[in-house]
Amino acid sequence: MCRFLWLSAGSPVRTSDLQLQFWMQTGRPLVEVVRLGQVSYKEGLRLQQAYVDRHRSGPAHALLLCQHSPVYTTGIRNKPYPAPLLDRLRLLGADVHRTNRGGLITFHGPGQLVCYPVLHLGGFRKSVRWYVGQLEKTVISLCSRLGVEAATSPHTGVWVGDNKICAIGIHCGRYVTSHGLALNCNTDLSWFGHIVPCGIEGKGVTSLSRELQRDVSVEETIPHLLDAFREQFSCQLTEGETPEPQQNSGLSSA
Amino acid sequence: MTTSLLTRGPCSAARAAVTSNQGLQRLLFYLAALKFTDKHEWVRVDDNGTGTVGISNFAQEALGDVVYCGLPEVGTQLAQQDEFGALESVKAASELYSPLTGEVVEVNTLLADNPGLVNKSCYKDGWLMKMTIANPAEVDALMDEAAYEKYIRSIED
Repeated sequence: MCRFLWLSAGSPVRTSDLQLQFWMQTGRPLVEVVRLGQVSYKEGLRLQQAYVDRHRSGPAHALLLCQHSPVYTTGIRNKPYPAPLLDRLRLLGADVHRTNRGGLITFHGPGQLVCYPVLHLGGFRKSVRWYVGQLEKTVISLCSRLGVEAATSPHTGVWVGDNKICAIGIHCGRYVTSHGLALNCNTDLSWFGHIVPCGIEGKGVTSLSRELQRDVSVEETIPHLLDAFREQFSCQLTEGETPEPQQNSGLSSA
Repeated sequence: MTTSLLTRGPCSAARAAVTSNQGLQRLLFYLAALKFTDKHEWVRVDDNGTGTVGISNFAQEALGDVVYCGLPEVGTQLAQQDEFGALESVKAASELYSPLTGEVVEVNTLLADNPGLVNKSCYKDGWLMKMTIANPAEVDALMDEAAYEKYIRSIED
């Protein structure tokens, strides 16, 4: 049963009030899991915006999961990253994007689980500080389920010792969240060698595979992330329809 | 009681002022002149008719330590509820919405090097911008301090 009608513009339209019904019955918010597979960063932004826009007509929490082709992204503090620096990164074969999220420069690529919760904080708690803390706790719980001891630090994100295993950077407008977290599963960590990740000098990066000394894929990690998210946010998860890629968007593909 | 808004939370300017009676009188007068939006911004109409805009103690607590303030250019025309900037804290960029229709005449340049003023002194030194007031009726329609306090209690559950 297709719960969504995809218009020619490629935006989802919710055709039922399933979310509202569920919340009224259980008191727990319903979050729809949307598996995007491997998408360009630009396509990821477009889809996030579509899910953000859904919130205009009522609760429509979603959890977008994907991997990106190699891309470096910066946040609203973009002064440290002038065009020549970004051009040098492009020469490495990666895409480069400025964004409206918090946080400094980071890398996304294959082997990294990228998760974009598009939640209305009115259904949870109206505090971005709380929300970011919840994302950190979700990832720490996920790592623990896999046997990796991770922790928070004065720097936002999730760390194993002095090495960051998961970056976090979000945007919040009218209580609707976008962007999210990026957890290194079996990412090629050498991509991080060309930047100061998140602007933090003297620290490194790591991955689940490096910590566990075996290959840990994004596919293996996803169920643990969903369990941890469901528990941490006291919500119910439901599988959503995987959206069709947009045709004739006028955007060049990455 | 108006003091409850002052003493709740880490807004140290409020706490320091409450400890002296003269300071309390001054701060009460100060706060009484503020109007609030449902997005936790405040406006104070200055003697020269411009509106000073900032965020409330509730908002600065919910954000956490502000590390960056993205503010508009002087001269920017804003309609009520237009996005006029963003504050970043804990790797979260949170948008700011104009409480009024008007033109930006000044932004708080101290925040570039000291964004933490938004947390430490949200009603005074951590002001964000000053703007003209194109439509005074918009100010009247905003919440006064008592109504805003009621509003916060209702959303805190």
